[in-house]
Amino acid sequence: MSTARHHRSNKGLFDQHSLAFEEPQARQQPQALTAPVLKRLWFCVYLPQLPLEASGPADEARVVVEDQQGIHRVLLASAQAESAGVMSGQSANAALALLPTLRVEERSELAEQQALESLASWLEQFTSVVCFAGPDVLLVEIAGSLRLYGGLLSLRQQIAAGLEQQGFSASLAIAPTPLAATWLAKGGRRACIREPANITAALRSLPLHCLDWPKSICESLTGMGIRNIGDCLRLPREGFARRFGPQRLLELDRALGRLPDPRTSWRAPERFCADYEMTEEQSDRELLLAVCRELLLSLERFLLTRQLGTQRVLFSFFHLRGPATQLSLGCADAERMSDRWFDLLRIRFEQLTLPEAVIAVRLRGGRTQAIRAESGRLWFKGKTAGQKLRFSMTQLAERLIARVGNQSVAGVATVAEHRPQFAWRPKALLADKTVHALSTIRCGACRPLWMLPEPTLLAVDQGYPLHQGRLRILEGPERLETGWWDEEGITRDYYTAINPRGMRLWVFRSRDRNACWYLHGFFG
Amino acid sequence: MQRDSSSLDKLLENPRLWRGHSQAHAAPGLTSGYEALDRHLPGGGWPQSSLTEILVEHYGIGELRLLMPALAALSAEDNGVNYAEPGWIAWVAPPFQPYPPALQQWGINLSRMLIVRPKDDSEMLWSAEQALSSGTCAAVLLWPEVLEDQASRRLQLAAEKGSSWAIAFRPPAARSEPSAAALRIELLSNSEGTRLSILKSRGGRPAVLHDVV
Repeated sequence: MSTARHHRSNKGLFDQHSLAFEEPQARQQPQALTAPVLKRLWFCVYLPQLPLEASGPADEARVVVEDQQGIHRVLLASAQAESAGVMSGQSANAALALLPTLRVEERSELAEQQALESLASWLEQFTSVVCFAGPDVLLVEIAGSLRLYGGLLSLRQQIAAGLEQQGFSASLAIAPTPLAATWLAKGGRRACIREPANITAALRSLPLHCLDWPKSICESLTGMGIRNIGDCLRLPREGFARRFGPQRLLELDRALGRLPDPRTSWRAPERFCADYEMTEEQSDRELLLAVCRELLLSLERFLLTRQLGTQRVLFSFFHLRGPATQLSLGCADAERMSDRWFDLLRIRFEQLTLPEAVIAVRLRGGRTQAIRAESGRLWFKGKTAGQKLRFSMTQLAERLIARVGNQSVAGVATVAEHRPQFAWRPKALLADKTVHALSTIRCGACRPLWMLPEPTLLAVDQGYPLHQGRLRILEGPERLETGWWDEEGITRDYYTAINPRGMRLWVFRSRDRNACWYLHGFFG
Repeated sequence: MQRDSSSLDKLLENPRLWRGHSQAHAAPGLTSGYEALDRHLPGGGWPQSSLTEILVEHYGIGELRLLMPALAALSAEDNGVNYAEPGWIAWVAPPFQPYPPALQQWGINLSRMLIVRPKDDSEMLWSAEQALSSGTCAAVLLWPEVLEDQASRRLQLAAEKGSSWAIAFRPPAARSEPSAAALRIELLSNSEGTRLSILKSRGGRPAVLHDVV
C-alpha cells in the first residue's frame, strides 16, 4: 500500500463515522413495537488439534502430515513428539530423523468430519441447537439449558470434562453472538461473556488471525498498522466496506450483535444399522431368511419408537472370502412394517445367488422420514361391504417391480397430440403423481385398441393392400397432416379395413410420392 | 298318476340328482353390454371372481371389444359393482400396446390401467396371480403362451381369493385341453362376420351366437 493512499484514508477518518461509534439500531428498531429480544448465549467449541485427535489417541508420539507442494510436511504433532523437537512445518523425513519411533499418518478430512459429527451428536444432549461453523468449530446455543444444567459454570465444566474424556483438547468460549464466541475461542481466550454490552471490550484485543479472513486482507490490514479487532473498529465504515468488502463489515456487525446472525442447527441423522453374526458359515437359505426377518423386526422397533419410516433398506451378506453380496429393497412410501419389507425381500431373495456361504448379515436402513399415519376407513360401499383388501395398489406395484423390474410395470396416460404414435405415454406407477393429462383431444374417428410399436409396410396386389389376404376398406379416409414443426411430421390418410379372416385393421397410406400402405394397429 | 307325480317329487328331492338349471341363479354376473351374450351367460353377464378363457386365432377380430363395456364399468369412478374405489385393470403380457386414446373412447378410466410385461411365462403367471389375489385389481387380462391345467386352477383360485376377474386369451388349439375356467368362449371370424361359441359355462349351457360384436 502506498503512503499516499494511506494518508488519504487517514484523512477520511475525521469526517466519517468510525465503526465503533455507529449505533444504527436505535433508529431502525423502535423499542415499543418489537417483542423482547430472546437472550442467546453461544458456546463455542474450537478443536485446534482435530486432525491429530480424529485419527487416534493423542498420548503417543504421532504426527499428522499433509502434502504441501509434493513434500509431506508435519501439520500437527502430539505432545510427546513435540517434546522430542518435532514441529509443525517440518518435513516428514526430518521428523522421523528426530524421533525414529514416530508414527506418521496422512491427514484424513473424512475422519475429521466424522469425529466432528459424532461430537455434535454428543453435544445434542445439552441443547437442541448445534451448528457447524467450519471444519473444526462447533457452536452450541446454551441460553435455554442453563437452568437444567445448574448454571453456566457447571454446564461449561460438564462439556469440558466430556470433551477431555473423549480425547479432544478444545478451546472454549462463551459469548452472546456466534461469531464473537468463535473468535474468542480461536484466540484462545477462556472468555465467558454474558452481556451483549461487554462484547466490544472483549473482542478489542483479539489479534486479526482469529477472524479467519483471507490472508491478503489480514496482510493489508497489518500493513496499515492494524493489529487487532479494536484497531479495525476504529476505521471508517464506508471506507472499510469499500476496501475489504461489505462481507467483512457484516461479520464485524454480527459479532458485535448489531445485526442478527441466523444459524441453521444440525440434526443427527437417524439411521438404522444392525449386524447378525453367524456362529458358523451358513448357506441354508431358509435360515438366512429367518435371520433377515429378525433384523427387519429390530428395524421395525427402531422406527416405531421414533415414529419414522424409511424408503430403502440394504442387506449385506458377508462371505469369508470375496466381497459381500448386496441386496437393496425400495418402497413407494416410507414404511416401517417388517412384514411388508419381508414380503419384498422374499421375492428378491429367490432370484439372489449367493456365491458362497454367509458368515454375517447386516441390515442398514435408508434415510428416515416422518411417517404419515392413515386413518382407517369407516365403511365400504358396494355389495361386498367390509371386504378386506389384501394389499394396496402401491404394494402390488412394489411387488411386481421387485420381481419383473421397474421398466416392465407401468400405467398409461394420454397426451394432447394428433399424431397417433405420440398421443400416449407410459406413466410410472409409483413416482408419477400426475393423474390427468392437461387436456385431451377428442378424435371423432374410432381408434384401434391395439397399437403396433412401428407401422409395418404392407404388400400391395393390384392396388389393394394385403395382410393375410386382400383388405377391404370399411371407413375412411381420415387425413392426419401435422407435426411439421419437428422432424417427425406426418401426412397420412387413415382407413379402417377388414381382411378375409375378419380382422379389423387400422391402415394408412402415406401421402408422399411412394404412396405406400402401412398397418398401424388392430381394432381388437 | 297320483302315485307317479309323488315319486317324481321324491326323486327330485334326492341330493344325488344334479339338475342343470339349479345353479343358474347362484351369482349375478357383470353385464357384458351385449344383450345377446348376456342372455346366454348364467347370472346374466360375465361370471366374476373366476377365470374366463377366450380362444382366438387372430388379434383384431373383436376379442377386446367384447370386454370393453364391462371393463369400462369396472374401472369407472362410481361403479357400484364391487369396490369402494374404482378397480384396477391389469394387462399382463399383452401382444401389442393397448392404445390409450382408444381405451378412452371406450370409456376406460386410464388412471386405473396397469401394464405388466414379464420376461417369461412363469413370471407372467406369478404377476397375474399377484394381481388377482391382491384385491385391488377388478380384472386381470393375460396372454399366456401355454396354460396348463394346474396353472388355470391357480388362476381360478387367485381370482376367487381377491374377488377379481381373470381373462386369459388362448389359441383355439387349447380347446381340447382341460381347464378350470368357469367360462370358455371361442371367437371365430371371417370376412362375413364373427361366430362366438360358449364352449363351457359353469351353471349355463353351451351356445353359438353370431355377430355379437
